[in-house]
Parts: sequence; structure tokens; C-alpha cells
Amino acid sequence: MKERIHKDVVIIGAGMAGLTAALYCGRMNLDTLVLENGIIGGQIANATDIENYPGFVSVKGGDLISTVQTQAENFGAVVDEFDEIEKVTLKSSPKIIETQEKIYEADVVIIASGMNRRKLPLPEEKKFAGRGVHYCELCDGAGYNGKIIAVMGGGNAAVDAANFLTKYAKKLYLIHRSEFRADEVSQKKLRANEKVTIMLQTEIKSLRGERRLEEVEVFDKKSGEKKILAVDGIFVNIGVEPNTQLFKDELKLSASGRIPAGEDCRTEIDGVFAAGDVREKEIRQLTTAASDGTTAALLAEKFLAKLRG
Amino acid sequence: MVKVYSFQGCPWCDKVKKYLQARGVEYETCDIEESEEAAKECQRISGDLAVPVTTIDGVNYVVGFDKRKIDELLASA
Repeated sequence: MKERIHKDVVIIGAGMAGLTAALYCGRMNLDTLVLENGIIGGQIANATDIENYPGFVSVKGGDLISTVQTQAENFGAVVDEFDEIEKVTLKSSPKIIETQEKIYEADVVIIASGMNRRKLPLPEEKKFAGRGVHYCELCDGAGYNGKIIAVMGGGNAAVDAANFLTKYAKKLYLIHRSEFRADEVSQKKLRANEKVTIMLQTEIKSLRGERRLEEVEVFDKKSGEKKILAVDGIFVNIGVEPNTQLFKDELKLSASGRIPAGEDCRTEIDGVFAAGDVREKEIRQLTTAASDGTTAALLAEKFLAKLRG
Repeated sequence: MVKVYSFQGCPWCDKVKKYLQARGVEYETCDIEESEEAAKECQRISGDLAVPVTTIDGVNYVVGFDKRKIDELLASA
């Protein structure tokens, strides 16, 4: 039987929004738990040079988030990155968050679950996931030292990933179905590397291999030509999608799968807030994630004060 | 002794190590970037170089961070 534990606030997600909310909740002396199913820091955990976060000329994502975690923990918030959430019930009072090991009863839930990389939309993806198809350059790039690597995508994240992976690759293909959307500076760096072949207006049609990925079939939309490329590993960077699977039966989601909530981060359920990239909004930056975390925490405290009279 | 095949800067490798530390389990880090021998050993165990790979006997192993599987691996030792 799982242990039942009451918390003032449970925050789902330990990215910038979630940990900022934890820092503020901790400072307000609220009994606060942060649950993280993936990597602490979320999308910025792998970022090498963050140059648009005020107060830092340049900072590694891991270092920045680690500092925010320390701040949150110093104020008494607890971060659990090992116990995975299985189910949430938000409409009840208190709200229930069931993990592999425990059942948490929370008066307030702040959802800051962020975004995940979009999966390669091919049926073979499952067969080759982790065996040639990857979504984290920093995690899996070292396994491809001296090998042939492909990167799929044409945005900043894809081109940055390709630039990073050239340190391992014997040869690297950048494959993208349309034109580049990445910054000129990153494109220029990639184009200057002799190991790199850039294939724009090119679609990936299929993946082939016995036990692991060996070949990629591509289609050049301009020439109408099909080609088979020998590739050891492909790193997929075709955008992100909101991490809202856990909440789809509890909250109405927007067309893009995000959680509708205004600048006050309040969702349609009292005591449930959405903060950071998971919230439906126009601008999604690290600074706005921190801003959302702040707003959600301060309004959570007001909600709790009202609840307790 | 538990061995974790990994490399520096790999976030999921760090998560596995933090979990082992939280459980009070001693482990040896085998860096596949620093040591060619470690890379070969990792390839032999899992047939791949995807890390982290956690093993005790060099036969049974867990790729990535999967708490339940790591717990089972530790319990079987």
C-alpha cells in the first residue's frame, strides 16, 4: 500500500518555471514538493551558452538551473527526480498525484511540465529508438565517435546540434524538408565544416537496418530523386511538443496541446496553475518561464490563504 | 561492484549516479569517452554505445534511467 502524504503545493516539472515557483513557495514557507520525471532543467539542461538570461553574460543551462534548484532547496522545497508520476486527479479537493511509490494530496498543483522533443514520424522509429535514432545530442553523441551521423531539422536547435555533433562525426548530414530557419551565424559555422553535407528540401522516407540503424532513405523534393545514405545514427530535431499527456483527461487543452491559462497562470480548475512553456501563450522564453513560476507561486499562496480562511 | 558506463556531461548518466548515491550504493564510473577499453566493454555488454549502461555482472544491464529496472538489478545481486 502506498504511503499518503499531504503537501501545500506540488509542482510538476523541474525546469525554470517549476523551480522558480518552488523557490517562491519555499520562501513563503509553503510545504512544497517538486516532481520531475525527466531531467532537471528540462529543455535548458543541455544548453551550452545561454546569453539572453539577465544577470549572466553567458551561462551553461545546467549551471543556471542547478543554482535555481539550490535556491529552492535552501528555502525548504523538496525536489524528487526519481519517483515517476503515474496519475493525477485535479478536480478533487485535495488534488491527488500518484507516483510509483507514493500518493500525494496537494491543495495546490502547479503544472510546469514543459515540452519534449517531437518524435520522428515514421513507423520504424520505435524499432530504432536508442539504436540509431536519438533525441539528445549531449546524452548520446559520444557513442558515434568516428561514425556517420545525420541530423534532421532546420531550426536553431537542429543546427546547433549538428555543429556540436561534428566533433564526433566522421561525416555529418543535415537533412531538412524545407529551407533553414536557423540563425545565420550557426548556419555559417555548419557550412564551413568540411565533414558536413547539407540536404535541404529533402524528406526522410524510411529507416533501414537489421538490429540497429544502418541506412536512411531520403527524397530530394527539388530533383525528385531518391537516395540511400549509409548512416549510423540520426539525431532528430524537428521541434517540440507540450508534455501534457498526464493532464488530458483533467484539463481542456488548446489545439497545440498546451494548457489554456492567462497571464495569471490560473487554469479552469481552482488551485491548479500552469506555468512556463506548457501554458498556451505567445512568447516562450527562459525569462517568461521564470516569470510564470513567480506568478503561479504568489497566486498559489493567495489561493491557500483564502482556502484556509 | 556496480559499474556505470557513461561520459562527462551526459544528463541521464548523472541521473543514474545521483540515484545510486541517494540509495547509498557504491559504484564505479567507466567513462566511454576517456577510455577506449571502457567503450569496448560497454559495446560488448549492451551491443551499443548508448549510455548510461548500469551493470553489476557485465551480463545483465539497464540502459538509460529506469528506476524499477535498476532496483531489480540491484536486488538480484
